[in-house]
Amino acid sequence: MQASEAKAIEVTDLTVAYQDQPVLWDIDLDVPPSVLLAIVGPNGAGKTTLIKAILGLVRPAAGNVLIYGKPYEAQRRIVGYVPQRGSVDWDFPTNVLDVVMMGRYGALGWVRRPGKQERELAMHALEKVGMDAYTNRQISQLSGGQQQRVFLARALVQDATIYLMDEPFQGVDATTERAIVTLLQEFREKGKTVVVVHHDLQTVTDYFDWVMLLNIRRIASGPVDETFTPENLRTTYGGRVAFITK
Amino acid sequence: MIQDHLDIQLIAIVTAVACALPGVFLVLRRMTLMSDAISHAILPGIVIAFFLTESLSSPLLILAAAGTGVLTVVFVELLQRTKLVKEDAAIGLTFPALFSIGVILISRFAGNVHLDMDAVLLGELAYAHLNRLEVFGYNLGPVSLYVMGTILLLNLAFILLFYKELKLSTFDASLAAALGFAPTLIHYGLMTLVSVTTVGAFDAVGSILVVALIAGPPATAYLITNRLSLMLTLSAVIGSVNAVSGYWLAYLFDVSIAGSIATMTLLMFGLVFLVVPSRGLIAIARRRTRQRWEFAQTMLVIHLFNHEGLPEAEAESEIAHLHEHLRWDPAFATQVVKYALNNRYVSQEETLLTLTERGRSVAQQALVQ
Repeated sequence: MQASEAKAIEVTDLTVAYQDQPVLWDIDLDVPPSVLLAIVGPNGAGKTTLIKAILGLVRPAAGNVLIYGKPYEAQRRIVGYVPQRGSVDWDFPTNVLDVVMMGRYGALGWVRRPGKQERELAMHALEKVGMDAYTNRQISQLSGGQQQRVFLARALVQDATIYLMDEPFQGVDATTERAIVTLLQEFREKGKTVVVVHHDLQTVTDYFDWVMLLNIRRIASGPVDETFTPENLRTTYGGRVAFITK
Repeated sequence: MIQDHLDIQLIAIVTAVACALPGVFLVLRRMTLMSDAISHAILPGIVIAFFLTESLSSPLLILAAAGTGVLTVVFVELLQRTKLVKEDAAIGLTFPALFSIGVILISRFAGNVHLDMDAVLLGELAYAHLNRLEVFGYNLGPVSLYVMGTILLLNLAFILLFYKELKLSTFDASLAAALGFAPTLIHYGLMTLVSVTTVGAFDAVGSILVVALIAGPPATAYLITNRLSLMLTLSAVIGSVNAVSGYWLAYLFDVSIAGSIATMTLLMFGLVFLVVPSRGLIAIARRRTRQRWEFAQTMLVIHLFNHEGLPEAEAESEIAHLHEHLRWDPAFATQVVKYALNNRYVSQEETLLTLTERGRSVAQQALVQ
């Protein structure tokens, strides 16, 4: 247990179930600081649930999650979350800047309203993701890639140490995907830890240095070059994956 | 008499604004049906509290009814959580059950007291100002104005204080939870307010029409604005306009005030739906027409462009025969030519059409795309 502070995220014996249907079975996962970790696995493997369990959004039936050695509730400020783009209503009456400022709400705490400082941080983040021309754009008028950039800017202003992202590449164009990857790698260079639910097996080795293979159970996790093997992939996807490693 | 007019309108306005404010969040959370459920299901709470206090304006009545309202939300969510029924079915099962308990209680025990079904269903705004608050013999105005005024202030305070929390948990509940803002707590806070508001409004507009006050103005405001703060303000303004115009409509035709207000709510929505810029039906129809002409014009310039400088060019650009080449209705072809001439995309030399510089570049652009 003494070593646990050296781990950014430590998941032990985590089981999540809906009634008697396990969604995650006894997951162990250690994520060291400043890695870019991809969680991959087939549909229904429990990837999103794992992220939500780490964030305390779903109650585990068993097991524990520690963020730098402490429970999530004590570490909210250092954890940033990017939910799936489709999980929110983009017809909500608000604009780009306002959504990005939501990333500061956690630091503001209850009741206090965002002000000039939050606005500046949000502007800066929007510049960073190349969306500064869209500050006052109604969010329903954004393309999928732009929506994802807005979400990323919102995560940026959270100024977290650990980021959990649920399919940030889903439905984005090639330029946006590039931009996101560059940003994530920048995060890692600054010592931040990024955990990404990822779908595209072809890009895992290019984008990430760590990988977790998940299919209700943890199949494997570790550095990409050791873990991302055809054998592990076969176990994860039940032999249904036609995948050529380099 | 003038005082009566004023009192009733004031009650109507305060009630409308008090309903519209939490209504904005219900509309955005797609929960307006829940407010309908609450407004019906609070009936047993009201009846039981009425038996205990024998008064329709007791604070206990409001508390009991609000309790039943929150209970409705809990029941609906419990049913939903079994995953055996969906939300709409859960609402449809819960509130008639509770409402019918209220109806049975009234018909069995309240036959001789002042709690009749018409008042419960439709409210009695016309008499709402008769019950007046008197302190030491001074007439301080209608009781329902004080009740609704307090509820309005309560709603206003809640929304102003927790504006940011309400916004975040409505837009992105999972981020709200991850940041520690307890969206469930906010959800039940809002539902409690909706319940309290509904009970208060009950007296004035009854259980059926209160949902019109809650859902109507926000839905109308949502057509007009893209900003939450403006949506709240507009909902309040629209609610007030509906209330006042509804009142005078009722006065003019000597009909139910609550019914008239609800009718005005619908008319107002319909009007805005038609005329609002960029999203209204009229704007959409005009945009479609314009797009049709623009597209036809683009087809015309591309046609001229494709044949420009070729031997057949003259035959292809003869105004009188254009419709034959393009297989257009002759009248339509004449219109399109006129449209393009107006825009200076083409120019006319005797019976021939030629592209202008502008028309040529438009054609080139369209072809590149």
